[in-house]
Amino acid sequence: MRKYEFLEHTADVAFRAYGNNVGELFEHAAEALESIMICLDDVACEDSRVITLTSDTYEDLLYDWLSELLVIFEVDLFAVRSCRVTTTGFSLHAECLGAKIDPSKHRLKEEVKAVTYHELKVTKNAYFQAQVTLDV
Amino acid sequence: MINERLVRKDDYTWEIAKDETLGMRVPGRIFLSDALMRFLEPAAIQQVANVATLPGIVKWSLAMPDVHTGYGFPIGGVAAFDATEGIVSPGGVGFDINCGTRLLATTLTKEEIEQEIQTLTTKLYESVPAGLGSKGSLRFSEKELDQVFLRGAKWAVDSGYGDAGDLKHCESNGCFDGADVSNVSPLAKKRGMPQLGSLGSGNHFLEIQFVDQIYEEREASVFGLRPGQVCIMLHSGSRGAGHQICTDYLKLFQKASQKYAIRLPDRQLACVPADSRDGRSYFSAMAAAANYAWANRQIMSYRVRDVIEREFSTGAGLVYDVAHNIAKLETHHIDGERKEVYVHRKGATRAFEKDESYGVAQPVLIPGSMGTASYVLCGTTKAMQTTFGSTCHGAGRVMSRKAAKRQLTWKGVTESLRQKHITLKTDDLSAVPEEAPEAYKPIDEVISVVSALGISKVVARLVPMGVIKG
Repeated sequence: MRKYEFLEHTADVAFRAYGNNVGELFEHAAEALESIMICLDDVACEDSRVITLTSDTYEDLLYDWLSELLVIFEVDLFAVRSCRVTTTGFSLHAECLGAKIDPSKHRLKEEVKAVTYHELKVTKNAYFQAQVTLDV
Repeated sequence: MINERLVRKDDYTWEIAKDETLGMRVPGRIFLSDALMRFLEPAAIQQVANVATLPGIVKWSLAMPDVHTGYGFPIGGVAAFDATEGIVSPGGVGFDINCGTRLLATTLTKEEIEQEIQTLTTKLYESVPAGLGSKGSLRFSEKELDQVFLRGAKWAVDSGYGDAGDLKHCESNGCFDGADVSNVSPLAKKRGMPQLGSLGSGNHFLEIQFVDQIYEEREASVFGLRPGQVCIMLHSGSRGAGHQICTDYLKLFQKASQKYAIRLPDRQLACVPADSRDGRSYFSAMAAAANYAWANRQIMSYRVRDVIEREFSTGAGLVYDVAHNIAKLETHHIDGERKEVYVHRKGATRAFEKDESYGVAQPVLIPGSMGTASYVLCGTTKAMQTTFGSTCHGAGRVMSRKAAKRQLTWKGVTESLRQKHITLKTDDLSAVPEEAPEAYKPIDEVISVVSALGISKVVARLVPMGVIKG
């Protein structure tokens, strides 16, 4: 099983993430998002952040999770290299490891404006799968 | 192949019949030439049809010739909603509220700067912050940020970033009435604070261009444009402030849509009645973001002018500043009646038949893709009658960013720019293929369609000399 793959979308960036459980799915979706904005190979796991969220559905929880990562990236200038996500119902607890963004050390890539609800889906077959469209 | 859902009405107008089983309240209309038809994606047709299902939509759900798939609304989408019975939709405006273009015209000629183009592009690149997370390097208090949200370009001019004459040549005079900062979240303010005066990334740019051709002598002369003249075009929006305002209200309206029993074909179309507390809150926050964007472009103009002044001891007058992601309350003549409507332009530009300050039709600024021509158009009576006073906003993408990166290399794209004597500056060369001309429709064809339809008149064609890609 792949962690995630980018899809064709004319205007924006869309990806599909996979996981054996919802937590792993969210971890992979986070990596997909971060990889658009920064070259992850350069990001060390030298600092941490804890995120807790509660929503109404898995889709809403995913939207909130990715939106939160986006804000942390842009406002706190913190890039997440890896994370451990556990979920209980539609609540999430995430321990994120990463580093403060430093343009002299990190290669910044593209700005993601926002996460969209467009075709946002979390489904379960043999494994969990999510589809996300981002506005870039 | 022409999609079976489309019925040809004339050379450039294709209709999607009103399908009540899909919940469409009005027909859809897409404006395309035969040459552009091959770029039309079935998903974009579906998005035009989806918009036609929203409550209070008037006459048609429209798509301009630069149409392509977006999220929720198509890009190039225009829809008007009855002011009392209709809705407002954050997704119908987009995350980059009041993303728009601005054109400054210098007194310089192409020949005068040809030898200096590398230096000029570099100086502008150093002066106007661009790229991911770019910051405006301005110091101001939270109270002043509130003034930015309330007064837009007027705040910028009063703070010394330009002169009062600039405001005359901005859509809505660079200030959207009705902004209410109490409806802007602390997070939106926090995101907006450091970024004021910066370009951003993606398809945002600053270009040094020259006037290659004049098509309408009278309008060109009124707008202050002449052959060979050097101009500066800016494309940017409301940065993180606008992105967060849209995010906040989209989230809020997920539940509100259920509260108002609005059935949505796509969650990104979440909307509320315009004439409701929720609707008024969004509209006042959207106005605040629009004002931020006008102030943002005004501050960047100040920095551009400073460079021109220092390098060439001359100035640059504002030709026009116009939004292409916005919703506005406007009065239109519809079926013989004057009607107040909320016109949503998502990747579409206002093109009114009259501009008060110029006394002729409103200028319309249409950027091409990186390395291709841009255009100055003007509005028409036909646009007022058929597109709620709107036209296209650019070339329109045809290739996904992923495909562009797969099929093109940054070296190849920069080499082709070099062959056209165009200087490029960017802090992210790897993203250059995404904005290459091959990733977009041919701008000249898009312009020929809006011209042939009569929804805009072509005034001038501008060709790039230097590009700063955000």
